[in-house]
Amino acid sequence: MTSRTPSDLFLLALRHRNLLLGGALSTLIILLAVISLLWTPHSAYELDVANKLKPPSSTHWLGTDHFGRDVASLIMVGAQNSLVVGFVAVGIGMAAGVLLGLWASAQRGWIEELIMRLSDFTFAFPAILSAIMITAILGPGAVNSILAIGIFNIPVFARVTRGSANAIWAREFVLAARAAGKGRIRITFEHVLPNILSVIIVQATIFFAIAILAEAALSYLGLGTQPPQPSWGRMLNEAQTFLYLSPHLALFPGLVIVVSVLGFNMLGDGLRDWLDPRLSRARLSGYAQ
Amino acid sequence: MSVLEVDRLTVSLPMVGGAARAVRGISFRLERGESLGIVGESGCGKSMTALALMGLLPDGGTLDGSIALNGRNLRTLDEAAMCHVRGNAIAMVFQEPMTSLNPVHTIGKQLVEPLMLHLGLDRDEAKVEAFSLLERVGLVDPQRYYSAFPHQLSGGQRQRAMIAMALSCHPEVLIADEPTTALDVTVQGQILDLIYDVVSERQMSLIMISHDLGVIAQTVDRVAVMYGGSIVEQGPTAEVFAQLAHPYTQGLFAAVPQVGDGRRRLRTIPGTVPELADLPQGCTFAGRCSLSRESCHHQVPDMRSVGPNHMAACLRLDAAMATSTFGLRR
Repeated sequence: MTSRTPSDLFLLALRHRNLLLGGALSTLIILLAVISLLWTPHSAYELDVANKLKPPSSTHWLGTDHFGRDVASLIMVGAQNSLVVGFVAVGIGMAAGVLLGLWASAQRGWIEELIMRLSDFTFAFPAILSAIMITAILGPGAVNSILAIGIFNIPVFARVTRGSANAIWAREFVLAARAAGKGRIRITFEHVLPNILSVIIVQATIFFAIAILAEAALSYLGLGTQPPQPSWGRMLNEAQTFLYLSPHLALFPGLVIVVSVLGFNMLGDGLRDWLDPRLSRARLSGYAQ
Repeated sequence: MSVLEVDRLTVSLPMVGGAARAVRGISFRLERGESLGIVGESGCGKSMTALALMGLLPDGGTLDGSIALNGRNLRTLDEAAMCHVRGNAIAMVFQEPMTSLNPVHTIGKQLVEPLMLHLGLDRDEAKVEAFSLLERVGLVDPQRYYSAFPHQLSGGQRQRAMIAMALSCHPEVLIADEPTTALDVTVQGQILDLIYDVVSERQMSLIMISHDLGVIAQTVDRVAVMYGGSIVEQGPTAEVFAQLAHPYTQGLFAAVPQVGDGRRRLRTIPGTVPELADLPQGCTFAGRCSLSRESCHHQVPDMRSVGPNHMAACLRLDAAMATSTFGLRR
């Protein structure tokens, strides 16, 4: 490695500004959640009705809600909730979707048709609507909302995986691997999966943001996380009643949702630019979006 | 017994205009230690023949006829048994060394995998074997090449690595599909020499596929000329090159540019290769052949003997051989 001067580093950072900014914002949210496991300014569950609806002050940095709970602590503990939903829902969608996509791509024929038409079917319903439908059937709650979001992520990953995997299957080194006597399963995991991993990682990061947003929406509608477990979506819902009286109650959870969704989205975009330089150059010259 | 015996092999591929018969009933034998060259233009079915031998036809492709490896018909084998044949008994070197290596794995990893898969070696034994293979194909300093990724190597080095992979499980038959087409002229000769050396040293049989007559002349004992999915001429290399029988073979030779020809226009065969989905009824070459008669357009010519072990499929063989002005001794 050649040594880099500070101005080189600055240029490098400028080129990867999405990655850096996205990474910083995402890290901030993750830090909030991790710190809240050990320490919060106040308890997120303790009611203090005497101090309800207080504006931000030195004791309550972001004020208190209508039960006198500390908003800063609620947001920190709520971050845990959002991240768990993001990780588990994307994990479900990714595990099932990637396997289905790889299977479809390796088998071709009617299996591929069946998997892809089922994906199209799931895709035909707006994601949040199907999530509402699933929680309506299974009943509201954190676990069910994670399941619902995870299930609607499956076809997304199945499609992306199958599309990229098909492109790899057409490559000559796969033919060479088959000529060396490798079976379809071996080729799938030794040759196809490593070559499409970057696409899947980028997709996972972007759908992480979407999952956080979906969870907030479900909780806002009262279908997601149930009280007393703090959740950003439900904080927004509860703040609605006091919008004129204490606007900060809606402002801070809203802001933190925006920051986390923006952060993970930018991280995804940045990762894509970093892992697939051809695409970012094409985008700069306006060929692709 | 021949190592490989191909009898009336036919390959059909689904196409927009109906099924295309990419290979039309070709037959040949390959003895142990023998090398066979298959020459022909692009689209004459030579690569499809290679893929058919490996059992790797594209989706929807169908096969007819028989392929026997040491007397065992490969067409009756299921996919699992075929996987065992591939790499183990028949190995293949591809045209594009740039794209036939997986870009995300090191050369070493890709070399060790088939050794562990087919020969059942453990990782350490496989690594020792991989080192000796790399040295054998001329990649001295194997440690460096073992941990290198494909993009760090030149085209010639990659093709050497591909050859090492093909050799790894001691196959009886090596199929080289245009192994030097994508390489620099200076490297071509070295790669051909390498293939020739390892094949004769290990008593392997070789099928060398090429459109380059020079490549064929250098490396093989016997040559088969393909046109429109059929073998039109077949025989010992020296025999064929001395007495070109089929009008297509003659045309192919005439089209080879000679150093010292000066600034003359290159000779070509008039017309283009017929569409595989829409091949003529009779002789496939009739439309481009200066000797063709009415009967050529209706009757499919049979292989006829023109010399010791030398056969050609042409209805006007006598006329063709009488007018033959081409050849190495022109």
